[in-house]
Amino acid sequence: MDLTVTIGNGKLPNPVGVASGTFGYGSEYESLIELSKLGAIYSKAVTLEPRPGNDAPRLVETPSGMLNSIGLANVGVERFLTDKMPFLARQACAVVCNVAGSGEDDYLRVVERLETHPDIFGYEINVSCPNVKHGGLALGTDPVLVERLVRRVRGLTRRPVIVKLTPNVTDITVVARAAENGGGDAISCINSLVGMVIDVGARRPVLPAGCGGLSGPAIRPVGVALTYRVSRAVSIPVIGIGGIMSADDALQYLLAGASAVQIGCATFVDPSIPGRVLSGIADYMTREQIACVQDIRGLLQ
Amino acid sequence: MRQFSATVVSNISLCRDLYRIDFAWDARAVGPAPGQFFTVRVSDSTVPLLRRPFAVSGYASDTRTASAIYQRRGRGTDLLAARQAGERLDVIGPLGNTFPPPKNSQRCFLAAGGIGLGPVLYLARHLVRDGRDISLVFGARTSAGVPAAGTFDGLSPAVCTDDGSQGFPGSAIDYLNTLEPGTFQDTVLYACGPMAMLKEYHAIAATHQCPCYVSIEQVMACGVGACMGCAIRVTTEATYARVCTDGPVFDSGVIVWT
Repeated sequence: MDLTVTIGNGKLPNPVGVASGTFGYGSEYESLIELSKLGAIYSKAVTLEPRPGNDAPRLVETPSGMLNSIGLANVGVERFLTDKMPFLARQACAVVCNVAGSGEDDYLRVVERLETHPDIFGYEINVSCPNVKHGGLALGTDPVLVERLVRRVRGLTRRPVIVKLTPNVTDITVVARAAENGGGDAISCINSLVGMVIDVGARRPVLPAGCGGLSGPAIRPVGVALTYRVSRAVSIPVIGIGGIMSADDALQYLLAGASAVQIGCATFVDPSIPGRVLSGIADYMTREQIACVQDIRGLLQ
Repeated sequence: MRQFSATVVSNISLCRDLYRIDFAWDARAVGPAPGQFFTVRVSDSTVPLLRRPFAVSGYASDTRTASAIYQRRGRGTDLLAARQAGERLDVIGPLGNTFPPPKNSQRCFLAAGGIGLGPVLYLARHLVRDGRDISLVFGARTSAGVPAAGTFDGLSPAVCTDDGSQGFPGSAIDYLNTLEPGTFQDTVLYACGPMAMLKEYHAIAATHQCPCYVSIEQVMACGVGACMGCAIRVTTEATYARVCTDGPVFDSGVIVWT
């Protein structure tokens, strides 16, 4: 059975990774999950400087989901390299560094620093963060900016470059094509949806930032639909993300056109889910006599 | 920490507002210490989605039975309250840090507000077993929030109710303010309860220059330090601390009280 996934010049051992922002820097889950069984760990977003993150509360639960406003709290690229990479480098699974910034130069300087580390599989470029130079709008809402950023990142590395798209746009396929034209090796689809919860008693949003990112099973149909559309708009692999709680959920993404998936919120709910999703996909392949996980993509009727 | 399937030993109502669940702690997991917590997946469906954190209110190492005192305040705790003896519970624990022990000469003053009773009760029993001299005060809104005396295991706390329906009329903090200033000499303070209470407790500690450790409650997603969701503002360079792994017990001087 072939479970491998080819992204650019790299190969992931299996299609089930854990999503950025839900898995810290890996060590947090070491005693609960067999990390070597993961297809990839997508790190907490790494920015040029350390970021303290947003004010509390940062979380609120929603029907079958959660809204978060963490504010890219992270240790910054230097401490990531000295404090977090040694643990990640010891793991058998691929380490994909999620890179974020408030402007194009931030991303490039982070990637330049990460290039110095030999044990990084590739980069996931988070284009959903607010862009300072563009009035706080996410860079990922502008296909011109996305293409230029990806092209410049491409110029810095031979490692796989994955572009993680925001669903908060009119037509995600336009941005996906921009990422492909810029030289991206894969598309992560999708980041969280913009959402708001209001405390009626207090007459104000529960999150001090107002809005947050909605994730969890509530957004799964959106993720599957956008994976379906994006995978038909580009020829590079698509990594499906959004509300996967079971192997069947992951298979929806694979059938929709994804080459791989990421598990996010579900790890919070039950850390055994990433492992069970992978074994469930393998069981499905055995049952359906599918030799290669990449063939599932073509099976949608 | 480990994830394990625990068997519920009992799940009872202590008074109108509070419940206690006892369950078998996994033999392969380290026993929980005072201050630590665990999370439970309360629903097999996706509503409610996230695991719920509960502070450990007691642990019998001989029978490996752990307990937690909780309040029914939403769908998650309604589901927990419905669990019967013999049913299974998906538990991750032990999580978080522990109450720092007092120095040899120090007396201990413990205060609990409402649902904050659990971790304080566990600490109190632990300290008494170690032969420490402790005082315990417990505050609730009304007598409906005060468990039967047996819950306190002979610790005889000063019970306070906001409406005066039982014990001292007023909050636990009001009660503390009636005590002789000498009460707090060479004393370490511990507490768990609502933030407003902890803030005042911290002020008392600052006035009497006592070390003070508080256990903080915050909404959590992962409970293991990965998601950065349970942050609280602190005075250190980091600006924020994670309640789940940097806490839940903090030196009250480190917290930015608002």
